[in-house]
Amino acid sequence: MNPILEFHNIERAFRKGVPVLNGVTFSMGEGEVLGLLGRNGSGKTTLIRIAMGMLFPQAGTVRVFGLSPGGEPVAVKKRIGYVSEEQVLPAGASIAEMLAFHRYLFPTWDSALERQLMDRFGLSGNSQRIHQLSKGQARQVALMCAVCHRPELLILDEPAGGLDPAARREFLETSIQLLNREGSAILFSSHHMGDVERLGGRVVLLDEGKVRLDRQLDQIREEHCVAMIPRSAVPDGATLERLSGCLRVREVFDDWHVVFQGTPDAVRRELRGSLGMNEVRCVSVPLEELFVELVGGERMAGVKS
Amino acid sequence: MQLLINPSDELPIYRQIMRQVTEAIAGGRLKSGDKLTSHRELSEQLVIAPLTVKKAYDELEALGYIETQRGRGTFVCASLPQPDRKKQAEQIQASARRLLSEAYLAGLGFQEVVKALTEADRALTVGPAVPEEKASK
Repeated sequence: MNPILEFHNIERAFRKGVPVLNGVTFSMGEGEVLGLLGRNGSGKTTLIRIAMGMLFPQAGTVRVFGLSPGGEPVAVKKRIGYVSEEQVLPAGASIAEMLAFHRYLFPTWDSALERQLMDRFGLSGNSQRIHQLSKGQARQVALMCAVCHRPELLILDEPAGGLDPAARREFLETSIQLLNREGSAILFSSHHMGDVERLGGRVVLLDEGKVRLDRQLDQIREEHCVAMIPRSAVPDGATLERLSGCLRVREVFDDWHVVFQGTPDAVRRELRGSLGMNEVRCVSVPLEELFVELVGGERMAGVKS
Repeated sequence: MQLLINPSDELPIYRQIMRQVTEAIAGGRLKSGDKLTSHRELSEQLVIAPLTVKKAYDELEALGYIETQRGRGTFVCASLPQPDRKKQAEQIQASARRLLSEAYLAGLGFQEVVKALTEADRALTVGPAVPEEKASK
């Protein structure tokens, strides 16, 4: 299968010597759903803007449908839909004007889908202007503008950011319906791990400028676990880091929290075999906990002087 | 089919669907020949990716609980697989641990748990204690 989006060794810094992206490589195929995760400032938006041709990488190559988004922006953008949290629609424009503009821009515009979404969102009185809409409604208009030309790739940069839980769920419902009906590929970034679990597919975790984790969500859920080991039993974190499958060691009060690739049973066996430890507490965790364990900071007991 | 999924559960979503379908079959809420909700409908009902539903159904089919009839839909199989004894023994052990910790937290001893189990067994096999017994205490 031909990849529709490829990042190869992407590097980008906004201040000299402080790289935001420091060699990011991954690609996605047709119809694939990929969740881009990472802490604030981990470079998710930067990477998405590079894919959109809004930013140039300082090193590495990006290809969308095999083309350079900076070199052939029109050919690329025709086939992409894009919604971001920071997207600003012109405040004075009406919904009807926004849609007319996009309908004019995109020859593949699907008016039936537009009407369907209008009804669904209850936006039919479309003489309303953007500044009169709630945040959730404005995001719905942005989504309509992004999907009615039936893009092959939908890029959502924190699309539900700042929305209340009900508006977020509605946005998700629409995305799922589009996935069912159109089968387009979706690249999305999100801080809502519940939404990531619902959209499923593949997860790429960015950390310190690099891809920290790149696997199918179900594999991440079933083949990773967190072991909790008293620091009195293993005084040195480096000993744990050397164990096979160890992805991260973190100090949490009196324990080490160690993320392993492997099932809890396999990891217990490993700990018994290499450190002679029995009965280590080892659990599978939801994505949210795994995220915190992988990229969260250390948590010391008390203040060290 | 009444399914409810929770993204922050310890189990991945497709496993939650699998568990709830097999529980419904075990509890008689889904019977042989019953039709399951289609992939697309269930994906929209639960607001989860269609591929997640497909994965759950595929696994259930591989285990012999359901079958897909092309063009007609997915149905509960006429003859269902026999339960996995080893796995069930493990589940019972886990339940036993939970029961014991609950009892110990409540300040009950092991003998009292055994007594509760004996009573539960009698209630299941010969029916609940008759009112006269209570009155005679």
